[in-house]
Amino acid sequence: MKKAFKTLALILAAIMVVMSFASCGGTATADPSAANDTTAAIAETSPAIADGILTVGTNAAFPPFEYAGDDGKPDGFDIALIKLIGEKIGVEVVIEDLEFSSLVTSIGNKIDAAIAGMTITEERLQTVDFSTSYYEAMQYVIVKKDNSDITTADDLKGKTIGTQLGTTGEFLAEDDIENANVKTYDKAIDAVNDLRNGRVDAVIIDRNPASVFVGQYPDELKIAETVVFDPEEYGIALPKGDAALKTAVDNALAEIKASGEFDALVEQYINN
Amino acid sequence: MNFYALGFLQSDFYQKFRNAFIVSDRYKLYFEGLGVTLKITVFAGLLGLLIGTAVAFMKLSKTRNGKPTVLSYIAQVYTDIIRGTPSVLQLMIMYFVVMASSKNPTLVAVLSFGINSGAYVSEIVRAGILAVDKGQEEAGRSLGLSSRTTMLNIIIPQAIKNALPPLGNEFIVLMKETAIVGYVGMTDLTRIANKISTRTYEAFMPLIGAAVIYFIIIKLLTIGLGYLERRLRKSDSR
Repeated sequence: MKKAFKTLALILAAIMVVMSFASCGGTATADPSAANDTTAAIAETSPAIADGILTVGTNAAFPPFEYAGDDGKPDGFDIALIKLIGEKIGVEVVIEDLEFSSLVTSIGNKIDAAIAGMTITEERLQTVDFSTSYYEAMQYVIVKKDNSDITTADDLKGKTIGTQLGTTGEFLAEDDIENANVKTYDKAIDAVNDLRNGRVDAVIIDRNPASVFVGQYPDELKIAETVVFDPEEYGIALPKGDAALKTAVDNALAEIKASGEFDALVEQYINN
Repeated sequence: MNFYALGFLQSDFYQKFRNAFIVSDRYKLYFEGLGVTLKITVFAGLLGLLIGTAVAFMKLSKTRNGKPTVLSYIAQVYTDIIRGTPSVLQLMIMYFVVMASSKNPTLVAVLSFGINSGAYVSEIVRAGILAVDKGQEEAGRSLGLSSRTTMLNIIIPQAIKNALPPLGNEFIVLMKETAIVGYVGMTDLTRIANKISTRTYEAFMPLIGAAVIYFIIIKLLTIGLGYLERRLRKSDSR
């Protein structure tokens, strides 16, 4: 019995040690961001691109915005856009391919910004800043071709819904659809494959990738066109409080839109 | 004292803790995830023990003139394939290819991990049996016991004692290995931690929380196994 108490005490001690490390980590991460605020304001330059390199995170599994190109490196609308923005600002753009779910938490430590068809939401704005919106999107529902019982958003109640981890589609399914059994996948295509295998009743994903996936399996899948959700705005996620970088990116974006280069990219990547 | 208490409640640390565990009853999610983890671990562990034991005897089987049998070759191929490929690939192949039409992901995971664990368990059981001194078998046989009785009543009881520590080890490894089921859309403890960090945009608390839960469960398991082992060794100290 005594031995058991001893072990229990050891476990508790171990937990406390871990937790005390935890509190150290908490304060350490809080401080530099506060420092960034003032430096950015005083120096009028962004600490993120002080080294001349803008490291941008993405998740290359979201066609046509980002996907693995023929050489295995990320390619797509977002990648072309951010490279153009880098050119305008005068920095070198380095692309890092990460899990979508870890993008927001990686900004400010592993990456300087993220472009990944990311919707601007209140929740995300508490952790990061966003550029002005560059694309309007919407969540679409993919179902099997022979499905006829999902025609409105209400029909999704109590259904099994496949989503990609950390996307607005997942949050929508979990927060706004009653009794939905939400399954999360690392890649949207895994959710689509489970829809084809009949393990989920529907997949909620952004409009353009939805069209691409349905285009892959036109005989098996279709978009439930009558199910409509609110439109969303894509933005480029930037470190919180880095006003200089946000201004630079916003200006570059405005320039690209005005010059017609933006429309050319839409034509090249999205409309063809 | 009150001052410190107030300071703690307002601290960044406590806010992150609240977001990760208390807000919208998120702690319940961790337990649901733990349930999935334990369910897969226990059933896959049992299946692995069953398969592993059978495969171990297949490996040990010999023909009358002492040569390996066909069964032992089959067992060897099975072990080679399972040990030679990553378990995450085995799980994904099982889920997306072999059992693509199964609507029960837990069953797929249990089968996949059970088959995986069986390969390792078979080596543990085989080692446990071989570690029993040859003299034990010779003594049994020369006393007129059949080879079957010798195996069941003399070799196996001692082999279990040999195999128990590595079996416990394998079970612990198996439990942690189940953390990859998130790859196929299942929501185990690790996936829950991941999911919560995508909602709070803070990775630290959920990940450490899940790690602490794994640690506690495995520590309890270790204590239980240590107790069982001591009971089995009672007759050793004479």
